[in-house]
Amino acid sequence: MVKNYDAVVIGAGNGGLVASARLAKEGKKTLLIERHNLPGGFATSFVRGRFEFEASLHELCGIGSITGKSPLLKIFREVGAADKIEWVALDEAYRLLTLDEKENCDYLMPLGKDAFINKLEEYDPGSSVVVKKIFELIESIEKTLDFVSNIEDFKPEMIKEIFSEHTAFLKVANYSVDEVLKAFGTSQKTRDILNGYWCYLGQPTDELNVIHYFTMLHSYIIDGAVIPKGRSHQISTALLEAFTENGGDAWFNTSVKKIKMENGKATGVILDDGTEINAKAVICNASPYNAFTKLMDEKDVPEKFKKEVNAKTLGAKGFAVFLGLNRSADELGLNNHTYFIYPTNDNRKCYELSKRLETNDVQATVCLNRAFDDCSPEGTSILYMTSIFAGDEWSKVSAKDYHKTKTAFAEKMIDNFEKATGVKIKDYIEEIEISTPMTYARYTDAPAGTIYGYEASKDDGIVKRIVFDLIDKGIPGLYFAGGYTTRHMGYSPSYTTGDMAAKAAVLAMEKEAK
Amino acid sequence: MSKKKFSVNGTFKDSVNTIKFLTERKKFIDSTEAVLPTRTDDFGVNKVAKSLHPKQQKLVISKIEEHGNLAKSYYFKGETELAYFKAGQYLTFKLGIGNSVVTRSYSIASSPASALNGEYQITVKRIADGFVSDYILDNWSVGDEVIAFAPEGNMTYCSLRDAENIVAIAGGSGITPFLSLARAIDQGDEDCALTLLYGCRTSDEILFKEELDSLSEKNEKINVVYVLSHSDEEGYEKGFVGADIIKKYAPSEVYSIFVCGPGGMYKFLETELPKLEKERKYIRFEVFSSGKKAEESKEFNITVINRGNESVIKANSNETVLCAFERAGIEVPARCHTGECGFCRSKLVSGKVYIPEGEDKRRIADMQFNFIHPCCSYPESDLVIRIN
Repeated sequence: MVKNYDAVVIGAGNGGLVASARLAKEGKKTLLIERHNLPGGFATSFVRGRFEFEASLHELCGIGSITGKSPLLKIFREVGAADKIEWVALDEAYRLLTLDEKENCDYLMPLGKDAFINKLEEYDPGSSVVVKKIFELIESIEKTLDFVSNIEDFKPEMIKEIFSEHTAFLKVANYSVDEVLKAFGTSQKTRDILNGYWCYLGQPTDELNVIHYFTMLHSYIIDGAVIPKGRSHQISTALLEAFTENGGDAWFNTSVKKIKMENGKATGVILDDGTEINAKAVICNASPYNAFTKLMDEKDVPEKFKKEVNAKTLGAKGFAVFLGLNRSADELGLNNHTYFIYPTNDNRKCYELSKRLETNDVQATVCLNRAFDDCSPEGTSILYMTSIFAGDEWSKVSAKDYHKTKTAFAEKMIDNFEKATGVKIKDYIEEIEISTPMTYARYTDAPAGTIYGYEASKDDGIVKRIVFDLIDKGIPGLYFAGGYTTRHMGYSPSYTTGDMAAKAAVLAMEKEAK
Repeated sequence: MSKKKFSVNGTFKDSVNTIKFLTERKKFIDSTEAVLPTRTDDFGVNKVAKSLHPKQQKLVISKIEEHGNLAKSYYFKGETELAYFKAGQYLTFKLGIGNSVVTRSYSIASSPASALNGEYQITVKRIADGFVSDYILDNWSVGDEVIAFAPEGNMTYCSLRDAENIVAIAGGSGITPFLSLARAIDQGDEDCALTLLYGCRTSDEILFKEELDSLSEKNEKINVVYVLSHSDEEGYEKGFVGADIIKKYAPSEVYSIFVCGPGGMYKFLETELPKLEKERKYIRFEVFSSGKKAEESKEFNITVINRGNESVIKANSNETVLCAFERAGIEVPARCHTGECGFCRSKLVSGKVYIPEGEDKRRIADMQFNFIHPCCSYPESDLVIRIN
């Protein structure tokens, strides 16, 4: 069977859903193909007993509950999904704790620029002068990024403007977070607190690009974060609904076997049952890793992409424990929404320790009831703990040892949580589910169970990715969206790259039509 | 801000560093070979994920054991090792019966370790009007090839949630998940203690008695008590498994109750278990569908949309939407048939369905956007459903 579409989208993850919704909104006849029976990829939820667990989202930035600067909401509105989602704004950024007793680390940081700076001043008196300057730099970087991303028609005089008006950006563009924070003369304590979010990007701050990190600080702390009431599954389903309302076709339980290539151009896909889909554009929400190693014949992969996929390092592998507790958050003393619990404030050390099961003690834990208490039945609460592994330790675990290994690691995370917070939860577990790299491999086909796309290493940070994406030509007809692309992984970046991919495809179709 | 004055390592070095940015990236890419890295399917993680959750498994019936006229045990061999599982999980089989395509789930009776040796065992009991069980009992023979999906199910022991002592209440063929658990304990693959309260009508109806007695004899972590409802025999408890019998045999330490059996047993336990005043976390049921109270049956049409193709099928108000699909030979990815697993989730484009209380285990957003689980939804009007 052969079918013809304007565009075919491989994968209904965050990138694929936004791309599909945008293409349908633009009037393009679009087919979205998903191998699982649900939309969302990582952005989903599941029910155990009387609890509905969020599968992956901690907080969503890019919706801008504080400043109203909301590039994401703009996308959701334009594609027709915004009014289908109910958001709850958060007021807390994170509580930062370490297991190293000598560090005596317990900092609770709020969202909102002024509140954040004031709180830091409380913890580290005298810090506010320099932290204010840091926030000025963060805002100035944001202005540069806004300027660059709003360029529709590039003119040479713009380069002049960049060199005269955006010098701060240019100065720091190739530095790490640590290099810049130290240049400001910050104290160790200030750096520890400011670097709290490092685990969301999975890269130690001695290597992580400062613009990448500062952009994230901007969208969380200055702009504000939210959570969808119907879990991330509500966002995923809302996008799918918007897509089908605008005439899109979505096929679930359907796998793509091959991306069709003709004369170096992507021309459609072949499905597992042999059905051929011809399309002017193929939007690939499967990772380039899977596209090049699974969905394309090796002869069709250009040398430079072979090199690129070979040079990059797969990012963190995920592990999560989902707990339905039979006491309320108040009764248990779960007072905070987001807990970052690290073995130490030295995040390079945390990263190295996270390569092994025995030594990994990193966790980011959310008590959903602190976003909205009615997320679980009265007298209960929901706590979910996430850890990340650098390296590929889980590939050593056999099927036979699987259940014991995951239960033991989950227990260690629970013990660490109790030790760091002093809150006892172990006796109150009514429901538990544990997800491992194998779980993510099962549901999303992620290589080695990766949840963070490619590492944002020094040589592959987002600024470099974006710049080289502008310079390099990709495979004609093939547009990548999602966590392995220019904006690095995460909800907000994946939605954004989905939109970018769709817009690029529409532009190419219009050019072709002319 | 003082952006003109700010620098990291001095203006000159900063500029050099920014320029380096372009060369570093090229070096980084050029330093590697134009060879594809490890294929996704070749990572240990992906291999184990696939072995635990294969799309489907081809099984060959290697042995059939008859339990009088009551039931038969089927033993299966796989081509290689079979998907590993936790004691308490079930297998869903896909069968073509006449023009129907049906799926049915049976708890695995064999131990998890036996899966690694390429063997599974299930037990099928003969029940009144059992469309699929009759078919299996009358047709499956040694050497036949059957299709099963990966093991699923949540009635498994978890040391982080459950008490170390499990009091299992089994009725009839509901014994199989606990036989698997007892075997797993005996083989050292589960570290809980098991008190098994096994309810049957008469002693003749007890399945696996010899093996259960032997496990209970040799392993101090396993204790088996038979409870007969319809005969008074020496050496057996008399009556139904209720609060008194549980109290009599339960350990003095904290314990969890696991239940698997027929509907009548669940109904009885509904009034009995509250007498024990146990926290909800210590009581776990193998999910089971109570169905809908039969009423005068009405016939409706369901328009089924599958990958853009539409077909119209007949449905009956006393049967689930999934049942209508099965009868019409429409294949849907159903597993549990109790509303729990969510595999059959489909979009109700229009029309009205009835979902029995307690069986609606849908996600919040699925209710918002009118997605249903056809396995526990009964048509109340003509329907349009998008399954794919």
